[in-house]
Amino acid sequence: MTKQSETILQTRNVKLWYGDKEALHGIDLDFANKGITALIGPSGSCKTTYLRALNRMHDLEENVTVTGSFNLLGKDIYAPTTDTVDLRKRVGMVFQQPNPFPFSIYDNVAFGLRLAGVKDKKTLDQAVEESLKAASIWDEVKDELNKSALGLSGGQQQRVSIARVLATKPDVLLLDEPTSALDPVSSHNIEETLLSLRDQYAMIIVTHSLSQASRISDKTAFFLSGNLVEFGDTRKIFLEPEKKETADYISGRFG
Amino acid sequence: MKAKTTDKIATAVIYGIAGSVALVLAAMLAFILVRGLPHLSWHFLTAQARSFEAGGGIGIQLFNSFYLLILAMLISFPIALGAAIYLNEYAKPTVWTSMVRTAIEVMSSLPSVVVGLFGFLIFVVKLKLGFSIISGAIALTFFNLPILTRSIETSLSQIPNLQREAGAALGLSRFETVIHIILPAAVPSIVTGVVISAGRVFGEAAALIFTAGQSAPSLDFGDWNPFNLASPLSPFRPAETLAVHIWKINSEGIMPDLSLVSAGASAVLIIVVLLFNFSARRLGTLLYKKLTKS
Repeated sequence: MTKQSETILQTRNVKLWYGDKEALHGIDLDFANKGITALIGPSGSCKTTYLRALNRMHDLEENVTVTGSFNLLGKDIYAPTTDTVDLRKRVGMVFQQPNPFPFSIYDNVAFGLRLAGVKDKKTLDQAVEESLKAASIWDEVKDELNKSALGLSGGQQQRVSIARVLATKPDVLLLDEPTSALDPVSSHNIEETLLSLRDQYAMIIVTHSLSQASRISDKTAFFLSGNLVEFGDTRKIFLEPEKKETADYISGRFG
Repeated sequence: MKAKTTDKIATAVIYGIAGSVALVLAAMLAFILVRGLPHLSWHFLTAQARSFEAGGGIGIQLFNSFYLLILAMLISFPIALGAAIYLNEYAKPTVWTSMVRTAIEVMSSLPSVVVGLFGFLIFVVKLKLGFSIISGAIALTFFNLPILTRSIETSLSQIPNLQREAGAALGLSRFETVIHIILPAAVPSIVTGVVISAGRVFGEAAALIFTAGQSAPSLDFGDWNPFNLASPLSPFRPAETLAVHIWKINSEGIMPDLSLVSAGASAVLIIVVLLFNFSARRLGTLLYKKLTKS
């Protein structure tokens, strides 16, 4: 396991309401600037809800209130002065369903850069190649960059989605069950991709697969009913959890 | 065994109903085409209409129909697009939005003859635009707007929310997401909707009788200055369309060969509408392929 020291993202007392129903009951979590943190827990434990609070995706929904402090490299994510557009460039997100845009593979990956005003063909070419390589899909698509991304398999689409996010050079990568819609081989490829990125990015992954969490994550946070039950090194959470609920969940007694 | 028999009977009945609908359509098409096609010729399609003698054509009416259609589309499409984007991407479920939606629904069920009379009173009389293409185009816009808005809104709503989230997650503003992701993804289905509604507008008569008028003054096809009244492009000249022409010659009953002319004109009308409908889907698929390719 890589040793991390610097904290890139610090959250304190995060609460979230859907209407007047409190869903998150005060979460304190810190994330290192490199490595993978897995958020695990049964369905309805609000781990995805927490993840989506980190790049203000809840802004898109009605009737959601978020409180607490979110400190990304010294800046408050929810400060009125924070530009969500800028924030989401720094905190990228990969979704459960692969969601490439209905354009070519090249255009998908170059999308964020073009929007940011990059026009130089050489810079774009290079960024697209680098991002696709980082997402471990370059070798599979390098000869058909101009084909529609929708023609790819689910696993390939998901890696293109990852490349698309990587192209904008985010500080933090949020992954919301990125493999749950994929077959085992594709899941394996995605996991390999994430492992290869572990030394460069802070990644936070929500997963329902305990084995996946244990295989790829450095730290694990166990959520239950909107509470953070336990957080620590993955090895410790899986081998000698402190809380009974964690032990029960890890050993498959519920969830 | 019993469930199977019921199923068989139900299937047969449903097939029968669907078949009879198709049969009615096929019979009508066949009737109109068989009667009208023999009368079609280059002369008929291009010559001027004659009121009191046989042998006239439908040239000007045909041109008017297309020109009115284009103008009506030019006016209604941007409005419909804006309204649909607002309703599907921005609007929150408030009293105001539900009012807009109700207004659109009411508008789409207005009888077209009422729209025509309204257009007559407001544009032709009150605003002194006279029987003119512009009056007709605005009346057609009223008629077309609700249908087009609905169809574009449906196209937009078919784009999965994942795409919007993906846009937001890439740091796109809502407007950028709409412009750069949602619209391109929806273009094929929007185009299909536009072309199909064009077919409806092309065949519309009642809304035009009192707005674009029932006369087709001869045009100088050498003069393309829209400010000259004799120019085909002039929006201020009266312009009888094909559908209105069919209605008029039959209600007047003066033209000696009116049954031949109206049979031929009906065939042309039907063929154009069919072409619109058939090409709509094809065009949509083609555009989708093109847009998603590079």
